[in-house]
Amino acid sequence: MSSFARHRIPDGSAQSARLVPPERWRAALRHAPLGMILSIVVLAVVFTWANPRFGSVENLQNLLYQVAVPLIVVVGTTMVIQMGSIDLSVQGVMGASGMAWILMSPNSRLAVDFGPWAWVAALALGLGLGLLAGIVHARLKVPSFVVTLGTWYIGLGIGVLLYGNGMLPSLTSETLARWPTRLTLGVPNAFWLAAAALGLGLLVMNYTRLGRGILAIGNNETIAGAMGLPVASIKIMAFAVAGLLSALAGILATMQLGSGSPDIGSGQLFTVIPAAVIAGTALSGGEGGVVRSALGVFLLILLNNGLVLAGVDPDFQSGIFGAILVVAIIAVSWPLRGRLKVAK
Amino acid sequence: MCEKTAHLPLNRTRRALGMTVMAAALATGLGLGSASAQELSPDEWVMVVSVINTTNPYMISNIEGAKALADHLGLPLEVVNSNNSSQEGISNIMAILASGRKPIMFVNTVSSSDAPTIVDAVGRAGGYVTIWWNKPDDYKPWNVGDHFVAFQKHPGVSSGRCGAQAIAGALDGEGEVVLLPGVQDSTTSQTRVAGFRAEIAENFPGITILEERPSNWDPQIAARNAQDLIVKYGDQIDAVWSADDAMQIGAMQAFENAGLLNQVKFASDGLYPKTLEDIQSGRGNNAIVGETFHRGYMASAVGLYTAYLAATGEIVPSELPEDKRESLFDLSCVTPDNIGDYLQYDEPGAPAAFVDRLVESGPWDVAPMPLVGGGVEVLPGS
Repeated sequence: MSSFARHRIPDGSAQSARLVPPERWRAALRHAPLGMILSIVVLAVVFTWANPRFGSVENLQNLLYQVAVPLIVVVGTTMVIQMGSIDLSVQGVMGASGMAWILMSPNSRLAVDFGPWAWVAALALGLGLGLLAGIVHARLKVPSFVVTLGTWYIGLGIGVLLYGNGMLPSLTSETLARWPTRLTLGVPNAFWLAAAALGLGLLVMNYTRLGRGILAIGNNETIAGAMGLPVASIKIMAFAVAGLLSALAGILATMQLGSGSPDIGSGQLFTVIPAAVIAGTALSGGEGGVVRSALGVFLLILLNNGLVLAGVDPDFQSGIFGAILVVAIIAVSWPLRGRLKVAK
Repeated sequence: MCEKTAHLPLNRTRRALGMTVMAAALATGLGLGSASAQELSPDEWVMVVSVINTTNPYMISNIEGAKALADHLGLPLEVVNSNNSSQEGISNIMAILASGRKPIMFVNTVSSSDAPTIVDAVGRAGGYVTIWWNKPDDYKPWNVGDHFVAFQKHPGVSSGRCGAQAIAGALDGEGEVVLLPGVQDSTTSQTRVAGFRAEIAENFPGITILEERPSNWDPQIAARNAQDLIVKYGDQIDAVWSADDAMQIGAMQAFENAGLLNQVKFASDGLYPKTLEDIQSGRGNNAIVGETFHRGYMASAVGLYTAYLAATGEIVPSELPEDKRESLFDLSCVTPDNIGDYLQYDEPGAPAAFVDRLVESGPWDVAPMPLVGGGVEVLPGS
């Protein structure tokens, strides 16, 4: 398996770990997402020029706060995409887990507080939905697109059932409601949680058999199987991790809103999948990485924030958003273009 | 035209049936609806409530109202969940229509363009439909046929004016406001925004609208936009108006997180239970200063009951004045001072109590939402 991993370079680290330092740095630089970083820097400069408040500490904290939820989700989504599969269940899992968490935490609807068990139950729910998707996909050979569409609606259904017809459940614990915005070392706690998820994703993808297996499957599942990789188990684990991270994002989004809703994940799918793809993670698998996807999330959130601060008329915002995105994607994909690369 | 011809014998039958029902009601001294309810067989008719999704509190309330009315009238009820998709909504409605029973239908359309397709299908199935909130302006019930019983809504302009008055009052006529509309091309949102802007322009010159940021009826997008606007304007913002309470919930959380909730005033539309709770608790130094009151269960019950009366023959839609076929129902402006008057409508059993009054008074004269006008809403200044 380790020999297989050398063929792929996730974020430049898997191979560089086996190289001597100067070569290692050169390899890392060669595979760094320079186009993406450049796009973000250029946009930041332009938006700061348009409104100096864009570059203020307050706005940077605001951006880190806003980026936290999609950042957590995109780590799991990227793992699944790198495998050549897709996870559409994000919003359903977030809704189910967010509702489960708030109803077991101090809330305005039920006089209960299960403390850490609320986290355990909500995360277990996400893990369970991820496992279900993984097992059906890997063991029953059902396309991930279809399976995760199903688990999306199962999750949403669980969220709706938990929501019922009662009052909107709101967090009654000030400590929990304020935790995501509270600053630690000048950075919102919400972002620290996302950074931890990103770090975990990097570790898994670069230093574990699971990560190397994911890339091997993404490159060529048939060869990976022929080489003796436990393809089904790796797939199931990847979907389980994605489900777990979606659940964590659902909890964080619920804390940020201060209220529970089955729709808490609304719109996240169409943030994280484009973020991963524009950052160079191929939907066919085997390419990209969690750092690239994270930068993709930053780019999308920053673009939206910058347009608001620049005072772009709402009537033009969607069009300008799209136009800037196309230019940014060209800049991002420029270093990745290859003479023999086929774009579909 | 063909549809009208096809319905003529049915209309005669309905008229005869309606007269019998009237006579029975007068003779027994019972309410009109309760007498006529016995005339529609549950084997032949089905009530259908079609909602945009089943996660929004307003939609859940739509279903509650339909359940209460179906229970009252002794008819079966089918719920159609469009899952925010016109296609899915229309497909699900078609599936119910194919079951063979005639529908008495309330549809909260996902988008205006859904209305003609749904109305035509209901007509072919021999049923009656009332559409709420969205339809093309030039698609008139009286041009379509009796099966399109009515289009009904609450006036968005009044909603916006309510919010503007509440905010201007709370700021003593001087201050700066940001607006959070819903989906940008939604007629409902556009009319509410137009009402807000018109009220400010006409009566409160000291109020400045800093900016509006459409937030798609989504609390999280509203929270994100509010965060960005806080960065942009800081404590310059004196008040926030949102086109509905879902977005206000997100915006209030953003201002609370920024430590600004105590110095900013909020007004919106819908008086969600969460909003009611915030007003009663005085959250954020009595941050919420104005709301409008209307309930999903009232809309669905009124819509379905109007269609039901057409099905029993008690009303003949083509003989109704135009304001009863393209109708605007009253919307109440709510402030912390008069909120006590509206608490009764959220008590357990409130939908059933409303249905009792509805059946007694008819669809156009039931408190707190009597008919107040008709036609396409005219935007101020247009």
